[in-house]
Amino acid sequence: MSSVHNRVLSPQELQAFGDELDAVRGKHQALLGESDARYIRRIVAAVRWTGVAGRALLFLGAFVHSLLVPAWIAGVLLLGFSKILENMELAHNVIHGQYDWMGDPHLQGKTYEWDIAGTSENWRKTHNFRHHTYTNVRGLDDDIGYGLLRIFPEQRWHPFFLAQPLVAVVFALLFEWGIAIQDLRVGRVLAGKVTLRQLWRQAKPVRRKALQQIGKDYVFFPLLAGPFFLPVLLGNLAANVIRNVWTYVVIFCGHFTADAETFPKDCVRNETRGHWYMRQLRGSSNLTGGKWMDVMTGNLSHQIEHHFYPDIPANRYAAMAVEVKEICRRYGQHYNTGSMPRQFGQVMWRILRHAFPSRPAPQRPLVSELAAEVQ
Amino acid sequence: MSAVYRNAAPPVIPWFKEGFFDFWSTRVNSLWTLRRPLVRLVDRTSASADAVTLQLQPNRHVGGLLPGQHVNLGVELDGRVTTRSYSPTVLDNGHLAITVKAIPGGKVSQHLARTAAIGDVFSVGPGFGDMTVALSPQRLVLLAGGSGITPMRSLLRQLDKQPLQAPVDLVYWVRRQEELCFVDELQAMAARQPGFKLHTALTRDAATPAPRVDSFDFSGFDQLAGARVLACGPAGFVDAAKARLGAHVASFEGEAFSMPVLPELEQGSVQVELLRSGRSLSIARGTSLLTALEAAGIQPASGCRMGLCNTCVCTKVSGITRHTLTGDHASEPSIPLKLCVNSASTDLTLEL
Repeated sequence: MSSVHNRVLSPQELQAFGDELDAVRGKHQALLGESDARYIRRIVAAVRWTGVAGRALLFLGAFVHSLLVPAWIAGVLLLGFSKILENMELAHNVIHGQYDWMGDPHLQGKTYEWDIAGTSENWRKTHNFRHHTYTNVRGLDDDIGYGLLRIFPEQRWHPFFLAQPLVAVVFALLFEWGIAIQDLRVGRVLAGKVTLRQLWRQAKPVRRKALQQIGKDYVFFPLLAGPFFLPVLLGNLAANVIRNVWTYVVIFCGHFTADAETFPKDCVRNETRGHWYMRQLRGSSNLTGGKWMDVMTGNLSHQIEHHFYPDIPANRYAAMAVEVKEICRRYGQHYNTGSMPRQFGQVMWRILRHAFPSRPAPQRPLVSELAAEVQ
Repeated sequence: MSAVYRNAAPPVIPWFKEGFFDFWSTRVNSLWTLRRPLVRLVDRTSASADAVTLQLQPNRHVGGLLPGQHVNLGVELDGRVTTRSYSPTVLDNGHLAITVKAIPGGKVSQHLARTAAIGDVFSVGPGFGDMTVALSPQRLVLLAGGSGITPMRSLLRQLDKQPLQAPVDLVYWVRRQEELCFVDELQAMAARQPGFKLHTALTRDAATPAPRVDSFDFSGFDQLAGARVLACGPAGFVDAAKARLGAHVASFEGEAFSMPVLPELEQGSVQVELLRSGRSLSIARGTSLLTALEAAGIQPASGCRMGLCNTCVCTKVSGITRHTLTGDHASEPSIPLKLCVNSASTDLTLEL
């Protein structure tokens, strides 16, 4: 397991740590303005133009048969790019309310609806609130394995998890559908807490959104192509799968790397701000890779900064990271970052390793103990 | 006069994305939107020494607007839509004219008066305000303080469409001659309509400074006791006008423009008006709005309670709030507000 040693902070140090991180927030919040607005509008334009260009290329083969294969490949890549950019850099950040301050009705966190099977409404609840408030807290953050995978030895083992290397692959291909049904908590049916009929009724908004997405990508646009139905349908399917796998990889790198920690429920009781920051830091991991990596991951390459400041525009994270890293260094706290192959390699190892029974490492000094000192 | 524009907003189609439509349609024409009411700046002329009149072309979604009413104009400054109220006059070509006084240090007024480019687009809300007149004969006394002339101008243009059936007086206070707006237009109306009398009062005139409203001589006004008085101007002006005339006339209506003033102490309680639920309640200043509203029996949507998850965000229509972590005050109208990390500093109006 991890060889990381974080310095145990005194309550006063923890307070100062939180105050310094709050100061970084205040500083960048005061700088918000024209350049941030221009940035997100350029992202919107890129999503729209690449989306249209990708769909146009998928249609091109119907008219110019000789270009069928290259146009189809280019179309799939462009449409996949558009969907990734929309989901990650645009929608995910807008839904966090990062651009609410602009007052643009099309960029409001409470009303933005994204181009993915799940509803924004569910996402606001499972992600913005639960995942971001209770990050990596066992029993409160559903994102730990999504109720499907055993990522941490603290999760109870069950023979079902022996199949998880396979389950993880299927989950990656269908990731948007996993997200779509996350808040329905289908497990309740197996546990006998709700009937199938009740679940069906509760799923109405989810069903409606899913039908819209299916209707758009697998009925409307293919029908528009007439006899060329199949290449367009397969192209849309391929673009959606590319987006699914990419988002899965990025998101799993965010909290499931070797050094990422999970926390027991009682550690959020009477949690101070400094303590909360500490938990976010220990539960999150970044990706190195520069500007393109930042854009393509919706700046989740700065997962740590995103968890510290989920409502600050993501285009600021790269600049904030310099200061955050320096603060972590001064307080002797490990800043978990690495290349995508390295980070995802660690995730894959976790998925393989914890498919089999495993025992938690001896308890390291957890923030919960610090909280006790603060009281 | 009924609504000037029809509100042609199509019904909501759930699977049809408004953002998608607007992105492409506004690339063809900056006013073409599915639902959003917008106006485009087409002309700017000087109205007085420190005021300009902007001519705004509305799109088909700009809603009903009665002469004398105000609208909220949203102007994007440094990435942020900043909202101010103006009283537009509907011109014969259907365009809206607003007169903006360039206030020293005023973000929006300076921008509109100087830097806004022809072709710029602003958002515009529905008309609001009760200072409107019916066409039935009515003895009117209109009192305008400075920029308070703009709704009066709209009312007079409406009344001027036919011969006046009852006398109308307008008293228009400014400091100096060069600050007067619409003088030619008002004088022309006075010449055309025997029932209309224009009184201009220059309070800082070098030769003969005119009295302010609190000592103005209204004794020469006919049928003052039966008059409906409409006053518009700064809060101090409207209050003084009401004190002076309120008890001596048939009815008095005032509309004041002024910024809320920050209290010296963050204690005591304030009035919070909730527009969606139509409730008004008194809450304590020092505590977060979420806690205070919950204590009053209201359950706004909420989540993390530490300013992160954006669940409790709602629009603050007016008033000043204070961030509970940073202590910063926010006074801009019509901005998003997180209830869990802000407390009320002044009376508030919320979209809740």
